[in-house]
Amino acid sequence: MAKVWLVAERDFRTFIRFKFVWILRAIWFIAQIALFGLVSTRMFIVPNYFDFYVGGVIITLLYSTTMFIGYDIFEEAEHGVTDYLLSLPVSRRELVLGRSVGGGLRSFVYVGPLMVGVLLLIGITNPLNFLIAFTSLFLFAFGVSGLSILLAVGIKSHDKYDIFLGVFDALIVRFSTALYPMAYMPQAYSTIARINPLTFAADIFRWGAGVESYLTSPWIPIVGLFLFFFTFVFAGVTFYERRLEGGGWE
Amino acid sequence: MAQHPLSANLRYGKNLAVIRTIDLTKRFGKLVAVDGLNLEIEEEEIFGLLGPNGAGKTTALLMLTTVLKPSDGSATVGEYDIKSDPDKVRRLIGISFQEPKLLWISTPWDVLNWHAKVCGLSSSDRRTKVKWVLEELNIWADRHKRVHALSGGTKKRVEVAKILIQRPKIAIIDEPTAQIDVVGKHKIWNMIRALRDEGSTIILATNELYEADELSDRVAIMHKGRLLVCDSTKNLKDSIPGGDIMEISLDKEITEKALEEIKAIEEVVHITTLNPDHLRVNLNQAERVMPKIMNLLFKRGLSISSVNMSEPSLDDVFVHYTGLTIEEAERKA
Repeated sequence: MAKVWLVAERDFRTFIRFKFVWILRAIWFIAQIALFGLVSTRMFIVPNYFDFYVGGVIITLLYSTTMFIGYDIFEEAEHGVTDYLLSLPVSRRELVLGRSVGGGLRSFVYVGPLMVGVLLLIGITNPLNFLIAFTSLFLFAFGVSGLSILLAVGIKSHDKYDIFLGVFDALIVRFSTALYPMAYMPQAYSTIARINPLTFAADIFRWGAGVESYLTSPWIPIVGLFLFFFTFVFAGVTFYERRLEGGGWE
Repeated sequence: MAQHPLSANLRYGKNLAVIRTIDLTKRFGKLVAVDGLNLEIEEEEIFGLLGPNGAGKTTALLMLTTVLKPSDGSATVGEYDIKSDPDKVRRLIGISFQEPKLLWISTPWDVLNWHAKVCGLSSSDRRTKVKWVLEELNIWADRHKRVHALSGGTKKRVEVAKILIQRPKIAIIDEPTAQIDVVGKHKIWNMIRALRDEGSTIILATNELYEADELSDRVAIMHKGRLLVCDSTKNLKDSIPGGDIMEISLDKEITEKALEEIKAIEEVVHITTLNPDHLRVNLNQAERVMPKIMNLLFKRGLSISSVNMSEPSLDDVFVHYTGLTIEEAERKA
């Protein structure tokens, strides 16, 4: 387990060095709330849409920041660091677990202060609910990190990954309740949104923060996030162990 | 620790073979990068793996470090099979790569400190060793600079520093002194020798034949993915017919009879009369034959004014086994 933390620590330190990334993402986040959030609230008929929207945007930010680990993997492949990591006295399992934990944890540490700002903006009515939601979001972050690693290792091409992620991001955000409630979606869209991890994360966050989440039970997103976490971290480990070897990156 | 089925056969020299490859092969599509490699590397030796770029050296080493998976064949490192026990293999082996594997945004201090941590060095040991190696390799002043701001030579030093901190049981060092100045080269050579003297086995992959000659106890030559030959540097040099050259200057002209007698010595391959009093003799095992030739000349009343000896270099060995100079082999690869 010590090696898992060491790998996670490395990812964390690397992320801190990418100052421009986290400064720009913070600007994006503030712009989304201060511009789009405020304007769209005046247009939309959804009650308390601003709170709903802010809850969704913070989850979108957590998702996109966590997905950044995939770019790290390409950056490393480009500089040959993947071969270096694979040569270390660390098992493949420890390596991918460490990276999933590191990728998730670092985005949590980054999004954390912004999340506090969001909570101050919308207020918390039930701290226990929020604690449950917060813990579930860890599962979400680790799962997204595992997913990102899996995609990067599977695609093995920076350009293809970049294009793929652009489309994937658009679809996963839009087919979720991050930006609008499920009740307002056409039937076909809501069928997909119901099994989208971003929906689970946005819903549980809103539930924890006391915002209208349109949830019948918090257990649905909690179980959904657990399955998501389990699939992409542990399936990722298996895939990584079997498939990953040095070289062959585009 | 369970005994490996092959371990009974591993002892073949003065030491135990710590690495053994059997028909080790790596294919990338239709390209056979390593083709049926059979090697044994002894404990505590410096083993030179020579060949031009594209010969398959790095691919072979990446298989030994479990970074690449073999397409065919097998290899054991220590007692562990690289396919079935890769985690255990990586506990024994460390590699300094040909190209520095450093993320542009990192600093030498961070890279080495984390490397030391992941290799299991204690906190105090880590600080001491990282500082020591940074100072020894003259990169202390650059320790907090980002990698993208470092020169090629400094990046290479950081790459070599990793293995010098790790001090693994088996150290693979790929092109250790590429881009490094002469003073730095000698320092690194001494540090590699010291690592061996401490009990590590060193595999030195290089296309710098002089470097291999300076450091290696034994060398293997790879060309087009195949192993051509593997032996001690001395035996390889001796294997070139007439590879040793002895130039003799005499006080007076040599007689036909003396010339015939020298030609009759078994190890003498060829004599060139540069001048009537100046001979060039191509021969094998010069150190053994030289006294014979000198005695013969004395007996014939010929005084020797000077003798120059030269042995073949590993460049000559390479040419002998491949029919190409290393530069030609690289161009063809």
